[in-house]
Amino acid sequence: MLHKYRWYEYVLIYSGLALFLTFVLAPFVEAFVVSLRPLSGLFSIPYRFITDEMSFDAYFTMWENVPLLWLYMFNSFFIATVVTVLGLICIIPAAYAFARFEFPARNTLLGLFIAVNMFSGAVLIIPLFKLMQQYGLLNTYFAMIAPGTAFVIPTGIWLLRSYLIRIPRELEEAAWVDGAGKLYTLWRVIIPVALPGIVVVTITAFITAYAQQFIFALTFNSVNELNPLPVGLFQFFGRQTVVWNELMAASLVGILPVLFVYVFLQRYIVAGLTAGAVKE
Amino acid sequence: MGELQLRDVRKNYGQMEVIKGVNLDVNHGEFIVFVGPSGCGKSTLLRMIAGLEEITGGDITIDSKVVNNLPPVKRGIAMVFQSYALYPHMTVYENIAFPLRVERLANDKVEEKVQAAAGILQLTDRLLHKPGELSGGQRQRVAIGRAIVRAPSVFLFDEPLSNLDAALRAEMRVELAKLHNTLDATMIYVTHDQVEAMTMADRIVVLDLGVISQVGTPLDLYHKPRNLFVAGFIGNPKMNFIEVTGKQATGDGVIVTLPSGQELTVKVSAHGAVAGKTLTLGIRPEDLTIERADASIEVVPNVVEHLGIHTVTYSAVEGAKSTFCSLLPGSAAARVGVPVAMGLNGTDCHLFDEAGIAFERQLSVEKLDPAAMLV
Repeated sequence: MLHKYRWYEYVLIYSGLALFLTFVLAPFVEAFVVSLRPLSGLFSIPYRFITDEMSFDAYFTMWENVPLLWLYMFNSFFIATVVTVLGLICIIPAAYAFARFEFPARNTLLGLFIAVNMFSGAVLIIPLFKLMQQYGLLNTYFAMIAPGTAFVIPTGIWLLRSYLIRIPRELEEAAWVDGAGKLYTLWRVIIPVALPGIVVVTITAFITAYAQQFIFALTFNSVNELNPLPVGLFQFFGRQTVVWNELMAASLVGILPVLFVYVFLQRYIVAGLTAGAVKE
Repeated sequence: MGELQLRDVRKNYGQMEVIKGVNLDVNHGEFIVFVGPSGCGKSTLLRMIAGLEEITGGDITIDSKVVNNLPPVKRGIAMVFQSYALYPHMTVYENIAFPLRVERLANDKVEEKVQAAAGILQLTDRLLHKPGELSGGQRQRVAIGRAIVRAPSVFLFDEPLSNLDAALRAEMRVELAKLHNTLDATMIYVTHDQVEAMTMADRIVVLDLGVISQVGTPLDLYHKPRNLFVAGFIGNPKMNFIEVTGKQATGDGVIVTLPSGQELTVKVSAHGAVAGKTLTLGIRPEDLTIERADASIEVVPNVVEHLGIHTVTYSAVEGAKSTFCSLLPGSAAARVGVPVAMGLNGTDCHLFDEAGIAFERQLSVEKLDPAAMLV
């Protein structure tokens, strides 16, 4: 399509983008600026964004004030990773089955998975708590990982299924004619071909797991050493003051793993979201 | 060995009958082509032989073993797909080696077989490339390579050349025919392109709406089509059909009256009464002549194509079921709007009864098997 924008169209598009990005990014910028200012400079009236004595001190002192901070970060990363891996182990075969096999109640089951997604995790907190209490699972990693996994699976199945449907059936038929069984075909043919789609699912699952662990950790866990970062951050809330600058510094550092995962895998996302859209 | 028998093979999709009882014997080493218009069931039949479609009724026997319920790999077949179905993430080497990897063959054996296949198909210097870096013809060769490493009894090809351009298709046709001679294997080939069928087949199976219309050598089908469908399907440009009235069956042939009132003796043996019946006369465009002949039809060409070697005319003719086409020598004088008398000879004509079944033609042997004259 040959179409050139007029100058005022460019102005409109870019101001729209700027407005949108401001809303999305402003909290991060503010968090970063707060993390640089000394605690005394945070409550000035009128409010000032730039104050004297700005430094990266908070990024060093936070480790001393909250000695377990590194462990919280590790826990966050650990829980999200395990949730993602367990999720993928369930999602890939399930999505393949939904994409390719005819079986009774297939569409009903798919519908149920979407329905599960419509519940917020919070609705199920109390029943889940009861269940975990019964089986003595409270205060374990498992208590935070299992519900997290359950919640990433439905979205994952839907995402991956739509990707797998677009893989030509002849690839599987060729493998079948060559003597490969269903699992061999899945492992050697389908998974490699569907890798871009699987990466998209991985990222979605990881980010979801990273974001949702707060509510599970808060309710199912009271062992300090097992807490993920979002709960661990409460340590910065003192009896009289909240150490805002260190809190912000810790939050930003805590986002880094997600950022790394995203940057590392994002080239697959673009490929995955557009693959098959255009005939080669 | 590679013998294949189909016994009353049927396939239903729910209420829809797609294959309606097919019987066929294929001998070892034959090149059989299934041909027919789209929707005639040729691909379905091939997929049933391959084991990709379940069969509703009948028996498929390969090397005197009923294979109805066996998975493809146990049937001793290999298949080449229309879209090549190469694994995009594997190199050419791994693509060809795939069936051997499935069998868990030792690495040195795999190497040996892949190199042998690559040698036959001239892919030796492409082995480390990915399918995406290859041209259409090379991809097709890789797909064939994957089929030949397993040394199957029967090769199945599902319209393998239809994704290639015309020049490459002609080239691959010759290569496939050579490959057939080299491998001494039974091949079953599905196509909708009758040129592919005529050029490659030992025997052609013409399918129409799920039944076999006729089986025979290419020249058999060309000279002695059994019915109107085969007559119209084999040969390019298509055979012309004209409605005529039967007059009398003699020992010499059947005398018919053309729409213009002329009489013509068609050299066929009549079955049943012909007098007064409405019959269909078939004449191939290449059998028409502008010289003196047994009878003639006046045509006014509305399109004339000069191809150098041939001149093709298209005209509307009284009694003809569609556009009347003639294939004349390149030197023929034909112009749009100028009437020409097209001569037809009784020996070249085909005659079909009211049900569309052909009367047996009286043909000399050398027409059906020109090579027989060499001996």
